[in-house]
Amino acid sequence: MGRFMFDLYRPTSLDDAVKFLASNYPDAVPIAGGTELLILIRDGKIKAPKYLVDLAPLKKQLSYVRVESGYVKIGALTTIWELSNTILHRDIRFAGFRDVWHKFGTIALRFSATIGGNIATATDFSDYIVLLLAYDASIKLTGTSGERVVPLEKLLVDRRRLDLKPGELIVEVLIPEPPVNASSAFEKFDRRRILIAGLANSASYLHLKGKKIIEARISLDVVREKRIPGRVKLLEDFLKGRELSEELVEKVTEELLPGIVEKYTDWWTTAEYRLEMSKVAVKRTLLTVGRRLGVI
Amino acid sequence: MSKLYKVKLRVNGRDYELEVPGCERLVYTLRYRLGFTGVKEGCGRGECGTCIVLVNNEPRHSCLTLTARLDGAEVVTIEGITPPGILHAVQVAFIETGGVQCGFCTPGMIMVAKALIDRYPDPSVDEIREWLTSVLCRCGSYSLFIMAVKKAVEYLKKGQVFFTEKEVREKLHLKVLG
Repeated sequence: MGRFMFDLYRPTSLDDAVKFLASNYPDAVPIAGGTELLILIRDGKIKAPKYLVDLAPLKKQLSYVRVESGYVKIGALTTIWELSNTILHRDIRFAGFRDVWHKFGTIALRFSATIGGNIATATDFSDYIVLLLAYDASIKLTGTSGERVVPLEKLLVDRRRLDLKPGELIVEVLIPEPPVNASSAFEKFDRRRILIAGLANSASYLHLKGKKIIEARISLDVVREKRIPGRVKLLEDFLKGRELSEELVEKVTEELLPGIVEKYTDWWTTAEYRLEMSKVAVKRTLLTVGRRLGVI
Repeated sequence: MSKLYKVKLRVNGRDYELEVPGCERLVYTLRYRLGFTGVKEGCGRGECGTCIVLVNNEPRHSCLTLTARLDGAEVVTIEGITPPGILHAVQVAFIETGGVQCGFCTPGMIMVAKALIDRYPDPSVDEIREWLTSVLCRCGSYSLFIMAVKKAVEYLKKGQVFFTEKEVREKLHLKVLG
């Protein structure tokens, strides 16, 4: 078979899609927006599968943003463009979603790419993973043996590898609804402003009472060893209970971060540079959240 | 031989029934099956944006869209934004501003500009910039494209959507034929 050769399977329902994926594992691969998968096949980075399972027929069922029983539920096939017309872009508690949106690919890609697809890609430059980690999100999966909800952190095994059973599909993203006085920010640096992978990404989420930090969550594109996004828990624990100020942010990023984070060197840039940029990213996101909540 | 899929497509206002393999990309279908060569393939990986067409009124990279997934969709390419012999305000604005240099990215630029104006009838410069970054122009006429979109917005505000060939030629002091 040639490089860019495969058959398409158009499922009639979610059950049908899951069954087909499970019975043809690993020869069937689901395709949502296709903005990453088709390039991977084209470049020969993954072998063309026998079947691509077209998720477009499930679009109506899995494209929504709802706020229900203390959770914000995002359907996996919601495109990035659709996200911009929802509560996520209007509420200050979700301010980070706007930041990611403006850094995500280009407008035309945002019409195709889906949030579920961004998670399934599972790379260090999957921006929504970085942000959702800061929101402590969980992912709902559907498989032949039923549904299960897994914390996003547990789902990420390694670069381009999720802890999925054969045939399992990402169907929903669950975010615990943030309280009032909570907000987030996201920052991504590269040589250009957009259409970038990002040499350093960071998202921060803070819940404040006055100036006091009640809850802090910080995530980075790469924390240590594995090239997948992760949380910087030591930093979060240090921040909790303290008063947010520019000095505190300066202190945690300059003194604590280098001890926790270990970056890698490749042909793009060096580990030292990545670390410096991560420091700036964390600093900026924390201060931006402070500014958004009106305490700095 | 790979399996063939029946696809009903409405391209530029005309209905087509096609049989395509699952791996065929929309840019191939449009250019080589249907002959709409206004769609250009640049990078083939969703970066340059020259292949952007409107699928159900949304700008999409036709190099990253599989035709077999589009059953029942409506596709508009640069050839189909107006009837033959008539130009759209966006096209006229692009000609007038002189933003076209080599012209390879122009179809993509115009499709994105049209998608933008359809959604935001009065876009800010930041919005125009953000939308036009979808397409790369190696001649570097970005500032002219931004001017062109502003000009198109002016035309549309005045209610001038379509221009006949005669109007365009008179406007640009070109020889009026016939």
